[in-house]
Amino acid sequence: MSARPRLAPRRRTSGRAVSVWLIALLVALVATIQIRSEAEVERSLVGIDTTSLAFLIDDLHRANDSLLAESVDLAQRKATLESGGSGAADQVLSDEAKHLRAVEGLVPVHGPGVVIVIDAAGLKALDLQDALNNLAAGGAEAMAVNDRRVVAGVPIEQTGSGVAIDGVSIATPWTITTIGDATRIAEVADVMTQQLRADRRVRQASYRVEADVSIQAVISERPFVYAVGS
Amino acid sequence: MTRRQTFSIVVVAVVALTTGFLVAGQVKAQLLIPSNQVARYQALVRSVQDLEATNADARAKIAALRAQIDALETEAAGRSAATQALRNQVSDLRAHAGLTAMHGPGIEVRLANGVPGPDTGGQTGYLVNYQDVQDVVNLLFAQGAEGISVNGRRITPLTAYSGSAGQVIIDQGPPLSSPIKVTAVGDRNRMAAAIDDSSALPDIRARQVQFELHLTFVGSPDLSLPSYDSSLRIPHVSAS
Repeated sequence: MSARPRLAPRRRTSGRAVSVWLIALLVALVATIQIRSEAEVERSLVGIDTTSLAFLIDDLHRANDSLLAESVDLAQRKATLESGGSGAADQVLSDEAKHLRAVEGLVPVHGPGVVIVIDAAGLKALDLQDALNNLAAGGAEAMAVNDRRVVAGVPIEQTGSGVAIDGVSIATPWTITTIGDATRIAEVADVMTQQLRADRRVRQASYRVEADVSIQAVISERPFVYAVGS
Repeated sequence: MTRRQTFSIVVVAVVALTTGFLVAGQVKAQLLIPSNQVARYQALVRSVQDLEATNADARAKIAALRAQIDALETEAAGRSAATQALRNQVSDLRAHAGLTAMHGPGIEVRLANGVPGPDTGGQTGYLVNYQDVQDVVNLLFAQGAEGISVNGRRITPLTAYSGSAGQVIIDQGPPLSSPIKVTAVGDRNRMAAAIDDSSALPDIRARQVQFELHLTFVGSPDLSLPSYDSSLRIPHVSAS
C-alpha cells in the first residue's frame, strides 16, 4: 500500500518528460523543414543565371512560333490532300519537292539578305564554320561562300592551302552571301564584323543589306551508301 | 491523466509550435533578399518549363501531321503512276533533309562535362557547349556521315546551334545538356578514325586535359536515327 504513493509522482514526471521531448522534436522538425525547403530551392538553381534564362525564354518563344507556323503549313497541306484527288496530291508533292530542293541547296535561290565580306590572313576552317553557324542561328535560310553553296553537312575543312568547302579551296577575301530575315541577319553581321575587325588577322570585315540576293551555286546530292530508310 | 495535465500538455505544445513557427519565420525573414531572388528564378524557370512543354507538344503535332500526310500521299500514289513517280522523288529528298528515320552502321560519340578546375573562377570550359557539338557534327559530316542525330534530335541541312554555358540548343528544340550523344550513320571506320585522330577537335582535346572533359566513341553495325520533328520553313527564300 505504501508503494503506490511513491510511484505515482515518478510516472507523472516521466510522462511530462516524454511530452516535452516530443514537443521539442516537433519544434525542431518544423523549423528544419522550413529552413531546408528554402535551401533546396536555392541549391536547385545553382549554375543558372537570370540572363541565360531570359535568353532561353526568348529562344523558346521564337522556336515555338516557328513550330506553330510549320504546323499550320502542314495542316493546310493535309487538308488539300484530303479534299482533292490525285491532282491535289501532285500539286502538294511538287510544291514539297521544290521546297526541299531549296532547303538542301540543290537549286539556285534568291531573296532578301545580307552580304558579308571578310578579308583576312590566317583564318581557319573553324572560324568559317562558326561564322556560318552564327548566321544560320541568326536567321539565314540559304548561304554561299565565294559562290560555293553551304548547308549543314557540306564539309568545311582545313587543308594545306587554306580552307576548303566540299574539297574546293576558297581564297580570301571570303564573300558570305546569305538569304533570310535581313534585319536579324544584319544584327548578327554587325556584331560579327565588329569582332572580326578587332582580330589582328583581319584586314577588312564589312556587310551590306540587299533587297534581293541571288545564290546561283548548287550542291550535288550524294546517294546514300550506308544508310537505309527505317 | 487528469484533465488539468492534458490541458497543460496542450498549452505547452501550442506554445512550442508557435515558437517553432516564429523561429522559422525569423530565419526566413533574414533570408529575405535571397528569397526574393529565388522567387524571380522560380518564375523564370516556370516560364522555361511551360515553353518547353509547348515545344514538345508542337513537335509531337508536327510529327503526327507528317505521318498523316505521308499516309494520304501513299494512298494517292496508289491511284496514279505519275503521283507515284513524284512521291518517289519527294521520298528521296525527304531522306536527305532528315525527314525520314534511317538506320545503318555508324558511331556514337559521347560528350560529357568535365570538372571545374581549382583556379577557374567563372570559367565554363569544363562544360560541354554548343560549339563542341557543332565541331563533332561537322567532323563526322566531313568524314562521310549520311545522317546524324544529337540526343535524338535529327540534324538537317538548315541546322544551327546556339546556347550558353552548358546548354546546347539545336534548331527549335529545347536546350540539351551533358551528357550529349551524337549518333552518326555512315562509314563507321572512317568516322571512328577521324574522332580518334589526336589532331582533330583541338579545343575539346585541350579541355580534356585541362578539365577532364569526356569524349568517347563506340562503333556499331546498326544505329537508328529518328526523323526530324521541327520546322524546315524558309519563308524568305524563293527558287530562281
